[in-house]
Amino acid sequence: MSGRIHTKTVSPQDRIKGFDPYVSNLDERMALYEAARCLMCYDAPCMSGCPTRINIPEFIYRIKTGNYYGSAKVIRGSNIFGGECGYVCPVERLCESKCVRNNLNEEPVAISMLQRFAYEKEKPKGLVKFGRAPPKKRKVAIVGAGPAGLSAAYELARMGYGVTVCDSNPRPGGLMLYGILPWKAAWSVAESEIDNIKRCGVKVVAKKKIADVKSLLKDYDAVFIGTGTTESLGLGIPGEDLTGVYLAQDFLFGVARSLKREGKAPDLKGKRVAVIGGGDTAVDAACASLRLGAERVYLVYRRSLTEMPAVPYGRNQAKEEGVEFLLLTAPVRIKGAKKVEGLECVKMELTAPDASGRRGVKPIKGSEFLLDVDAVIVAIGQKPDEGVLKSFGVKLEKGLIVVNENGATSAKGVYAGGDTVNGGETVVEAVAEGKKAAAAIDKYLSGGR
Amino acid sequence: MVSKPDITVKFCKLDLENPFLLSSAPPTCTGEMIMHAFEEGWAGAVTKTIKPDKTPVYDLDNRFGIMGLEDKQMILFENIEEVSKRSVGTWVKEIKEVKKKFPGKILIGSLMAEPKDEDWETLARTISEAGVDMLELNLGCPHGMPERGMGAFCGQRPELIDRLTKAAKRGSSVPVMVKLTPNVTDIALMAQTAEKAGADAISAINTVLGLIGINIDTFEPMPTVDGKSTFGGMSGPGVKPIGQRCVAQIAQATNIPVSGIGGVATWRDAVEYLLVGANNVQVCTAVMWRGYRIVADMIDGLTNYLSDKGFSSVKDIAGKTLPKLTAWGKLNKDYEVVATIDKDLCIKCGLCYVACRDGGYQAIKFEQGKAAEVDEEKCDACALCTLVCPVPNCTTWKRVKK
Repeated sequence: MSGRIHTKTVSPQDRIKGFDPYVSNLDERMALYEAARCLMCYDAPCMSGCPTRINIPEFIYRIKTGNYYGSAKVIRGSNIFGGECGYVCPVERLCESKCVRNNLNEEPVAISMLQRFAYEKEKPKGLVKFGRAPPKKRKVAIVGAGPAGLSAAYELARMGYGVTVCDSNPRPGGLMLYGILPWKAAWSVAESEIDNIKRCGVKVVAKKKIADVKSLLKDYDAVFIGTGTTESLGLGIPGEDLTGVYLAQDFLFGVARSLKREGKAPDLKGKRVAVIGGGDTAVDAACASLRLGAERVYLVYRRSLTEMPAVPYGRNQAKEEGVEFLLLTAPVRIKGAKKVEGLECVKMELTAPDASGRRGVKPIKGSEFLLDVDAVIVAIGQKPDEGVLKSFGVKLEKGLIVVNENGATSAKGVYAGGDTVNGGETVVEAVAEGKKAAAAIDKYLSGGR
Repeated sequence: MVSKPDITVKFCKLDLENPFLLSSAPPTCTGEMIMHAFEEGWAGAVTKTIKPDKTPVYDLDNRFGIMGLEDKQMILFENIEEVSKRSVGTWVKEIKEVKKKFPGKILIGSLMAEPKDEDWETLARTISEAGVDMLELNLGCPHGMPERGMGAFCGQRPELIDRLTKAAKRGSSVPVMVKLTPNVTDIALMAQTAEKAGADAISAINTVLGLIGINIDTFEPMPTVDGKSTFGGMSGPGVKPIGQRCVAQIAQATNIPVSGIGGVATWRDAVEYLLVGANNVQVCTAVMWRGYRIVADMIDGLTNYLSDKGFSSVKDIAGKTLPKLTAWGKLNKDYEVVATIDKDLCIKCGLCYVACRDGGYQAIKFEQGKAAEVDEEKCDACALCTLVCPVPNCTTWKRVKK
């Protein structure tokens, strides 16, 4: 068997001229070839790498036999955002990392590319719809229309519950439509899947911020909170209040809003930008800066590549596009009178691994240097809006909602999932947590009371 | 390192510089094509089948189809093409040209006519006198021609094999080879009939009658000729097991040389045919797929194989496998083995487990994340696990006492 299919990608110089997707999808010929690389393992390990437990060998087998709609049905049956996840999942550390072909010293089967193929074949026919149970009298309110909330909403609507989803943004989708920029996944993918969820009877109310879950429980029998992470963590160094300093999430949302003509993106044309952080969000912010016309973009990360949490695929793409990686470098202060005029950094060195095996870092004395930049994007992590969470009246820990193994919070009838519980994971993890909570809500509403 | 092995072959007193011939098919449509093939290294060629001028022949659009795997890896090739449309006169002229330019190459004239003795005798005389080194009687074409009493129609009837071989022998001034169809119940009987009738050699197999596929959108069979089709001749890698079986049966049943045909694409295929008794091999489909040039590797690969194995000539491997082919009833029923799975090589895909569970003896234990294990008590040594395992040498066999 020959190696994995790699489709064409637009050259780095050309793709940074815009925000469009730049990796071609598999065509039918390639998909059939790649599908044939799947060994169809028994009790396939790849499935254990998928939080939503999609039956991966089965969906690939259906591609192989030319049963494309059947393939999409397998995916959608486990993950209502199967199309979106095909585009945004960090498969390098999920399903593909478990592919048995890795054990054969080969590249894994291109699972996400095949998943995209199934979605693209499904789309023209209308996304797969599943039957609804007869309507039940009980109603559930969902706070936050991100992947966790919508996944829970869909599962509950299928079971027959009356479901209403509220979201403070102008449209539902959460991070999928505001935090993920189109070169990763065209927004039409998530939009089509949200429409599919609505068609299942889920009512979506946009531009509605909920701050009092208790009063919701007067009108609803259960509540699911999936409000995600809406705030970026700050650095806690001098100069963070200068003009030209952006928090990653605000920055990415701003870019998204400008592309949707809902607002304006930061003007980075000709600017020199330092993005601080080593996660996928930092990489995204760096790539977005290039696309906004930044002249130079630095990714400033305090540890080395080995410790960098961003998936290798994404950071390699960023490097190709011209993002300059300043590793083992930490920011000390942002310089400037009113606007950013530079970033003072210090070189770091790795220390011995801690109990968890991760290596720490410490500054190298006298290695301070000034990075000539006029914008700084802080991308060292996100967190939920603590004020909002507190208003829900559920138990919190370290700024996150505490839930049990079924997604139940400390308040009766109130469940939660997604980033607001796990602190910022993946779309697919949020979908899985929404699903899990929906099952628990059903149990609670049908027998628990 | 021994000296370079000798890959020449003696075939009915003819000297072949290597055992690779082009079979009677599109790659030998014209003298010019044959000469091109000779330049690339083929030892000889059988012309596309020549028929009397009075016999009409038609070409259909389209006439080929394939069954393949991903990325056009062809497994079977089908054709519903008839014999050469060109006149006897043209062929006589071109045969002379080819032989003049390539006197050392072996040119074989393929013939077909209606089952009339005088037609075969005349055609055999004309073509042999044109200067070919041998004749091949096409009694095997399974499509088109049989509807008009030719090709496989003759090869499926011992009395016609007998009569037409004799008629051709009467007319021919060169050795006569009879090409047989596999679409019969007992090909050994057909070969023996030809041998008794005076045939100097047998070639087998002609294509296997089949139906390559149906377009499930239009319901049309393939290859489609204006919406309809007919059963056609299968060739290519998929027919090799049939060809090898036939060649082995013929080699066991007769004392005349066999030219092996059917799915030969590489020197490895050729070696297998030689091992089961073929004197040489004929190739068509692989050449249609990748061109005459494949012969360079066939020559080189065969030479290297012989040298690696310490053989000095092709003769050393001729029919070497035949004594190992016996009746089912003569196979050793006391020989018992069980499968063993190499824990370190196992990639934990579970394919052997599910195959043995659903298609075998439930003799494999498997738990995700752990190497598969054989329950020796239950293992019936059918080999299914070895065949589905994607890792070379992961499953081996251990002899056990009965």
